[in-house]
Amino acid sequence: MDTEIQKILIIGGGPTEIGHETELDAACVQIMQAFKKQGIRSLLIDNNPFSASLEDVQPTNMFIQAVTADNVQRIIEKEQPDAILPTVGGVTAISVIQELQENGVLADNNVKTLGIPADAMMDINNPDRLNDVMRNVGVPVIASETIGTLDEAVNVANDIGYPVIVKPIAPKIDTNRMLCENETDMISAVSRGLSWSRFKQCVIEQSIVGYKEIELVSMRDTMGTQVLIAGLENIDPIGIHSGDSMVVTPTLTLSNAEYESLRDTAFAINNQFRFTGVVHTHFALRADGESYYVTKVTPYNDRGTSLAACATGYPIAYVAANLYLNQKLTDVRLPDIYHFRQTALLEPSLDHVVVRIPLWPFEDVKSADRHLSTVMKSVGSTIGIGRSTEEAILKALRSSQFSPQDELPSMSDLTDSQIISQLIHPLSSRILILLEALRRGYQVDELNELTKIDQFYFVKLKHILEIEQDIRKHPMSVDALHEGRYYGFGDGMIARMWQTDIDNVRQLGQDNHISPTYKGIEPSAGELLGTPTGYYSTFELENESQQLSDKTVLVLGRGGNQLGPNASADYFTTEMLKQLRKSGYQTVIMNTNPNAGSLTATLTDKQIIDPVQLGDIMNVIAIEHPVKIFVPGNRHYLTRELRRRDYSISILPPDQEKRSELLSDHANIGLDLFVTEGHIVPILASDLRSDQGIATTLDQITLMRTPASLTPQQLDAIIAHAKSYIGAHKRTGMVQMLYTTNGKKEPQFAGVRPTRLTTIAYLNKVTGINWVRMLVRQALGEIDEELISKLAVDIHSDRRSQVRGTFPFKQLQLPDQLGLTTQEVGARISFETL
Amino acid sequence: MAKVVVDAMAMQRALTRITYEIIEHNKGIDGLVILGIKTRGVYLAQRIASRLKQLENASVPVGELDVTQYRDDIEHDSQDTDPQVTVSKIDFPVTDKKVILVDDVLYTGRTIRAAMSAIMDLGRPKQINLAVLVDRGHRELPIRADFVGKNIPSSQQERIKVSVSEIDGHDSVEIIER
Amino acid sequence: MAQRFLILEDGSIYPGHGFGAGATTTGEIVFNTSMLGYQEIVTNQIYHNQIIVFSQPIVGSIGIAHDAYESILPTAKGMVVRDVTDISKNRQRSLSLDQFLKQHNIPGISGIDTRHLIRQINQTGTIKGSIVDVADDHAFDQLHATVLTSQQVAQVATPRPYPNPNQGYNVVVIDFGLKHGILRQLSKRDCNVTVLPWDASAQDVINLDPDGVLLSTGPGSPLDLPESVLDMIRTIQERIPLFAIGLGHELFALANGSEITKLKLSHHGANHPIRKVITNEIIYAMESQEYVVDPDSVDRDRLITTYLDIIDGSIQGLRHRDYPAFSVQFFPDGAPGPNDSVDLFDEFIEIMGTRE
Repeated sequence: MDTEIQKILIIGGGPTEIGHETELDAACVQIMQAFKKQGIRSLLIDNNPFSASLEDVQPTNMFIQAVTADNVQRIIEKEQPDAILPTVGGVTAISVIQELQENGVLADNNVKTLGIPADAMMDINNPDRLNDVMRNVGVPVIASETIGTLDEAVNVANDIGYPVIVKPIAPKIDTNRMLCENETDMISAVSRGLSWSRFKQCVIEQSIVGYKEIELVSMRDTMGTQVLIAGLENIDPIGIHSGDSMVVTPTLTLSNAEYESLRDTAFAINNQFRFTGVVHTHFALRADGESYYVTKVTPYNDRGTSLAACATGYPIAYVAANLYLNQKLTDVRLPDIYHFRQTALLEPSLDHVVVRIPLWPFEDVKSADRHLSTVMKSVGSTIGIGRSTEEAILKALRSSQFSPQDELPSMSDLTDSQIISQLIHPLSSRILILLEALRRGYQVDELNELTKIDQFYFVKLKHILEIEQDIRKHPMSVDALHEGRYYGFGDGMIARMWQTDIDNVRQLGQDNHISPTYKGIEPSAGELLGTPTGYYSTFELENESQQLSDKTVLVLGRGGNQLGPNASADYFTTEMLKQLRKSGYQTVIMNTNPNAGSLTATLTDKQIIDPVQLGDIMNVIAIEHPVKIFVPGNRHYLTRELRRRDYSISILPPDQEKRSELLSDHANIGLDLFVTEGHIVPILASDLRSDQGIATTLDQITLMRTPASLTPQQLDAIIAHAKSYIGAHKRTGMVQMLYTTNGKKEPQFAGVRPTRLTTIAYLNKVTGINWVRMLVRQALGEIDEELISKLAVDIHSDRRSQVRGTFPFKQLQLPDQLGLTTQEVGARISFETL
Repeated sequence: MAKVVVDAMAMQRALTRITYEIIEHNKGIDGLVILGIKTRGVYLAQRIASRLKQLENASVPVGELDVTQYRDDIEHDSQDTDPQVTVSKIDFPVTDKKVILVDDVLYTGRTIRAAMSAIMDLGRPKQINLAVLVDRGHRELPIRADFVGKNIPSSQQERIKVSVSEIDGHDSVEIIER
Repeated sequence: MAQRFLILEDGSIYPGHGFGAGATTTGEIVFNTSMLGYQEIVTNQIYHNQIIVFSQPIVGSIGIAHDAYESILPTAKGMVVRDVTDISKNRQRSLSLDQFLKQHNIPGISGIDTRHLIRQINQTGTIKGSIVDVADDHAFDQLHATVLTSQQVAQVATPRPYPNPNQGYNVVVIDFGLKHGILRQLSKRDCNVTVLPWDASAQDVINLDPDGVLLSTGPGSPLDLPESVLDMIRTIQERIPLFAIGLGHELFALANGSEITKLKLSHHGANHPIRKVITNEIIYAMESQEYVVDPDSVDRDRLITTYLDIIDGSIQGLRHRDYPAFSVQFFPDGAPGPNDSVDLFDEFIEIMGTRE
């Protein structure tokens, strides 16, 4: 153990955006847990209001500031940390640390960088230098050259031959590779790339479009001991960004020899760079397996490492934290919930399949180009776990469609030429198109040729269609129900195919003992006995999940990340779960987002990774008999159906759409209040603005700031109004009263709406009171006089603060535009002292 | 032109093999002491000792031997007697012990002859064995190594460069053409 | 696919779908937790007399490859899997797993809750089972009545010597049912190999004037082999560098006074960390064993323990104190499994080098 390190500055991930969502924050929470156990003080800089990590640090260790080199430098100089951690801050953190390394700040202040040695730091996102290192290790690299001007780019591209790939060096944002078929494309890509590069440089390289993309996630300690955690196989070939590709783990179409040689290479690279902690290595493999290239090395947490952790049950971030402190893998001790004493050293072996399907922003940003390319566009993802590929694909697909009744959309309206065009130039509807093409009789080899997707997956998709046919042909057949469930069809889907009610389907299942069997998500493939905390369902012989207790609460997660309120939903769920445990309940979470902090094993007593759909929920209820179920407010159908079945449910996070009573579509002042039976607590008055100034409609309000532009008299007036209004109208929970002001005149009441999720997160940070927990306690009936009287809210505070939505327009290659609430991808919060 | 003839893995293996051969040859580690010849021989000696400890669960004393004073082919002037660079560190008796002398490269044999003189000045060992990582030939004295990591036949125009991670940052043996 | 059944000695019945050959077979049920390499596993002769349960969720997804055989005539008694995919896409002469198993008369059964089966075997210990068409009393009677041969090595090892000529060191491989990975690694290092039958005498070996001798992997119990094999090992180790793997390792241990015990549950997997004692390094390798060297029986004046499994504490490697003779329980050639320890073959070559 490194006893020199007592105080560590952690670089947070900043606002969520395309490229990273909650995975960085989720990893950060686990790392801080591990640090705490070792008696280390964690300092955290972040300006993401939806950060659950910020909730876990003492105010004195919290720096709510933008992650910039200047800000980090100031903190270093003031706080003198022993070390700095770049591995939960994405590329921004890498870029910031590179800068502090170059200008000597780290050396001057004697700050050690954890995880990534200094020279490696300079190499990893410089493709040119990375290639040099690869050559040293004896790894084949792609023909490439660095350029700094458009002229150079044209010459180099002509030498290499089109298509070429353009990659910015040391990018300030998470970009990947831009594929250019011709000079025009290339010039546009290089112009963009140069502006994103810290060094105003790009690399131009030979295109490997159509290769198979494989990712390995491994751990290394300072002694050089390494463990391979998982292999991730992109179903889509290179040419589609791995964040936008369907991904499966374990790898299903690699031979042992191929896999082991990738493993050897990843380990050799890790040794060469002397990384510690977790490393995510990307490979491009020629379809015949004869040759491969290393395309990217990310020695830090990202969506790949969180998928690996979720799929294997291996607590990657927690173990990595111990490794950063120079602990050996052989010595790492895991929290008690990990029943296998040697989990840190056991290479996970899976007996299940996990499929990840991306989620898109296109419903909310209609003008964006929906074609998939080398630039990432998805904003979230959802996973399905099954004992067969079919089951995993179907579950992931069901969770990715957000259909209230668990149905898949039809693509039957498309013409044949549209299908062909979309097979060659895939859109975000990729998998549905693949299914539709098979439905229309396209052959496996033909589709493999058109899409470069391995034949194996078409064989599997074809099988799904065969089962679907079978179910359709045999309404209310026991065998068809068994087969359908066995391969991942949801009860809702089956009910729809049989044109009957879901209850009839479930009754048929119950009468014939077609019951779900939950299987543990653990790293030994059943070899070692223990009780895992993570489960998924299937329909086999043995069920491993037993009722937790008679005081269990079931919390339904919001699923994959999307634009709009969802950006803060996982933060909300995480805080709910903490409170529920504190209130003495056993907790079960159902969720499908591999990046979700709410799925962290130490947070709940049981995690179930299954579609959050009625049939699947009823299956969990049948085992757990929860005393209460928390349903997200946006799941109206679920709420109705569960209520109809007399379950005790609470709607949290609150419904954002319903129960607004608006007199006007415009407001510039908001007053948020916490309302219980008998108490009305005003929390915060704020100015409401759009991202570009005055908002003309409510859906443009994506910026809030305090103190509100109100005179003391005006403030008192709206508080009085709000109290009397709410007193008269029956409403509880968090509400936002809306007003319009005009100079010193009396503010005009504009309406009332539920406080937005993003706003609740903001209120938490501004007031230092966790309102999510208050809402949970309200739902549990724990609010009393004493609790209310202890709330120290200063509605008259003149502290300056601001929260501001961030938008994905730039990454979607759209011109800057006025963002709407439904288009927020994240937010940033800032404080200023007067 | 430098050519790597022993990489890090191969060097690890060579030391592992030498360790086992020492056990084979001495029927265990009783009465064994290891003396590394400065500079790189010392690190190799320490690695062999740590391997022996892993296997036999008992420590073998390791000493550092500086032979500069004893070389017959180096002129002695005042600078050579700087105490900081010429002092051997051997804090155990060698009399009646089985000494394993460790050096990185065996060449003319003059270093080894000098080392033996140095050891004899300290006491009377029961036996002396020689372990070297590289034997490159061209002996000028009747000296032979008992344990050899790798035989590298070389011309006298070539230089053999041994790097050890403790001071060079990496492990390797290279042939460098002059 | 026709419905078939996997039945176990303890009376349990697992319905599933048949694939591969339609034969009825009986064997010991063992499970393998490797995530890849179904072809290498099913062609490994150590599975003679055994029905292999695969924890990997899918087999067959890459067909059969010309370069992934571990034996020419596999003798496993069956494959038990959750899912099998019928794909063939290798080279000109493409073959699917299903076709391959039919060719070699090996039955498979899919649609089995393999996770449950593995957890069950975990508690009962190694157990006998059959793959049958009908799970009736007759089938169980047959299962109980079946006595599996203990002459396993004789059934799978080569009956007569054969060469694999090359220019390098002269190596004699004693075949107890060897996996091709061993020959592949020796071939890669230019060894001039002669493979001798398992019952070769020390004189047969010495007559070939080898630089080194390798005792191969193989099926079954080392205790079923005659004392003459141990005599051969004792004679050879004094004269010629010796490397022993798997069954060879168990025989090497026996020849040097150690005892071998049968594991309650055989272990087949590639994910256990193994500590290399001499340097404390951690490696991963394919472990496939039904027997283990009893640590209390190891004569420490003759043998040094060189590798230990960290999960179950089992001895994974030995070395003779007096001779250049060493052995490992695991498979350093991978196929399938990590290559972390493949340089044991280099160690073998280097030891032969010092004897020149």
